[in-house]
Amino acid sequence: MNRDVRMTWLVARRELRQRGRTRVFAISTVVLLVAVALGVALPAILSRHAKPERVGYVGDVTAAATQLIEQAGRIAQTRVTVVHEPDAAAAEAALRSGDVGVVLVPDREVLVKQVPLGTGSGGTLPNVLAQLAGLGRLFQEVPAAAAAAAKGIALPVRGLQPPSSPLGNRLTGLFTVVLVWVLISVYGSQIALGIGEEKSSRVVEVLLAVVRPVQLLVGKVLGIGLLALAQTAAMVAVFIVAGFASGSSLVHSTAIGIVLAGGVFMVLGYAFYCTAFAAAGSLVSRQSDVNATVMPVQLPLIVAYALSYTVIYANGANAFYHVLGFLPPTAPIAMPVLYAAGDVPAWQVVVSAALCAAGTVWMARVAAGIYSRSILRTGGRIRLRQALRREPAEAR
Amino acid sequence: MSSLELELDGLRRRYGTVTALDGLTFGVPAGQVFGFLGPNGAGKTTAMRAIFGVASLDAGEIRWRGEPVGEQARRKFGYMPEERGLYPGMRLLEQIEYFATLHDMPAQSARAAAKHWLGRLGLRGREDARVDGLSHGNQQRAQLAVALVHDPELLVLDEPFAGLDPGGVDDMSGILAERAAAGVTVLFSSHQLDLVEDLCEAVAIIHHGRLVVAGPVADLRRGDRPRLAVRVAGDADGRWARMAGADLGDIEAVRQDGTVVISLTRGADSQRVLDLARAAGPVEHFSYEARRLSEVFREATGASVGQAEAEHAGRTAGTAAGTAGTAAGTGTAAGAAR
Repeated sequence: MNRDVRMTWLVARRELRQRGRTRVFAISTVVLLVAVALGVALPAILSRHAKPERVGYVGDVTAAATQLIEQAGRIAQTRVTVVHEPDAAAAEAALRSGDVGVVLVPDREVLVKQVPLGTGSGGTLPNVLAQLAGLGRLFQEVPAAAAAAAKGIALPVRGLQPPSSPLGNRLTGLFTVVLVWVLISVYGSQIALGIGEEKSSRVVEVLLAVVRPVQLLVGKVLGIGLLALAQTAAMVAVFIVAGFASGSSLVHSTAIGIVLAGGVFMVLGYAFYCTAFAAAGSLVSRQSDVNATVMPVQLPLIVAYALSYTVIYANGANAFYHVLGFLPPTAPIAMPVLYAAGDVPAWQVVVSAALCAAGTVWMARVAAGIYSRSILRTGGRIRLRQALRREPAEAR
Repeated sequence: MSSLELELDGLRRRYGTVTALDGLTFGVPAGQVFGFLGPNGAGKTTAMRAIFGVASLDAGEIRWRGEPVGEQARRKFGYMPEERGLYPGMRLLEQIEYFATLHDMPAQSARAAAKHWLGRLGLRGREDARVDGLSHGNQQRAQLAVALVHDPELLVLDEPFAGLDPGGVDDMSGILAERAAAGVTVLFSSHQLDLVEDLCEAVAIIHHGRLVVAGPVADLRRGDRPRLAVRVAGDADGRWARMAGADLGDIEAVRQDGTVVISLTRGADSQRVLDLARAAGPVEHFSYEARRLSEVFREATGASVGQAEAEHAGRTAGTAAGTAGTAAGTGTAAGAAR
């Protein structure tokens, strides 16, 4: 094995072994996996166990009537039970008492307790019921219409704006962004703390007598990165398994492209930020100073993360967020969001990933430079300008 | 001097206004315990760090077996830095093993060597203990194990005796002697010149980043003007010695009991001193006396080790004050210009 690779791997393996074995890691992994499983499966399980909607039918319940109501239930994704109501007065009473949720008075109307504002003609059970029952009456009165309906009578629907991405995609995008965010902030601070520990315990001097600073830096980022990757893979696996097992709509509507883009940017984002975090960690002499140094490094990420919610829940991103999607510090979060929301074509994702990769290489170089210049300096916190200077830097 | 294994040649290093190394040159022979001595602040740590490339040099070269020291050579070196450091939360055996593998040992032999050294250094049974759970003394031993585990050809120890109790000093010097006997070149530093003079075969003493003297301890302690201690019964003032001319030697001191300490003039015959003494009365004591290394230092530099350290401390503080003064001055000048 090439010596550079061997040394880097030895450093990485130590990180893997030491951190993978800690109780904190075991507990946090279990907690995260359980949280993912519950987050995916619970809504699906709850909706399946929801009580069927009781639908009153005024008059004798014929087979055709039952079929119509059940069809409406299927379209509205609600389980239904048909209840016979002798007359309109009894049906109203049952509605008021909550015994039934909706009443169909054949050929006349659909009764509910209260019409919610602004639901329009959407896919709620009363609306679907009203439309189906209306169609039934139309077919009775105009026999030709029934024939037309069999051939398909719907007109094409044309949108003035490009289609927006479905909610499922946006949710997958959100899931990706949260993962990237959690990954970078949790493991990034671990890297900074780990480097702070090596510096403050002075073990780094023994290490640097035989390991190059770059090997030490890359090994650390790699080792912790592999651990993070394993944890993420487990989370994604649980997401998929729990999703399919519970029949969650989150999984069914997941677009593979979004997951792929998310994965690429997760690795890029991790590499970009974690080398930066390593450099930040090397600036301090005491571990307690690490957080204060890491904070400014995290700022672009925080901005992109906070704004990502507006993109996911609003219709389309503004120009500013599009710009963020192409800047290496913000792209790891902004680009998966833009892609998931359907705001950018795939080629732009590729361009952004390439920019981000180039930025990461640049960042790694700068970080390695800062790191090797400051890792052996003790005393107070080192200012960035000092660390960037070419002047070699030892305490004595 | 062909058997020099490690050579430091013209090392120079400045940090701002402070000169840490000022053309330091000396060589360390193979298979010896070699003391690298000097007051605090003389530049010992910088020089040792430079051997490992941990401190960079403005000028000069460090050679191992005639070749400039590089990564390849450093893997055969063992290092115990002045500021001790191990991973606090890592288990002892794993930690020693880790450093062995970093020095190119295969996993199997790394583990065996780590176990061997833990046993040799009295840490058997503590293999699974976290380093931060060890006593201070045991942490020192663990640090030594890290330096020794890969069976280095050169052992560099920065102040290995600092903070050790007398038993610890004995253990440490025993191990250094044993390694040297096994053919390892051992270089260690100390600012306590007299404490270590019996532990090493040869020394280099430095001051202000420059070599003061170097050579076998026995030669240095005798000096080029051997020292005689002579006492004549009934002569408490050592009057007899004043009869001796400068061609014989100079009186360094007359002790309370009348012992006269004379540094012989180069090439002078000690027996003529004895004759003079006997002429004055019965000679009760007549012997060569070795100098302490601290005296060697004082003779060569004109200052005691303590004075040198105080001066260094003052110089460092003075530098800080000077910088502050300059900054204030610049501020005023800028203010005036505005």
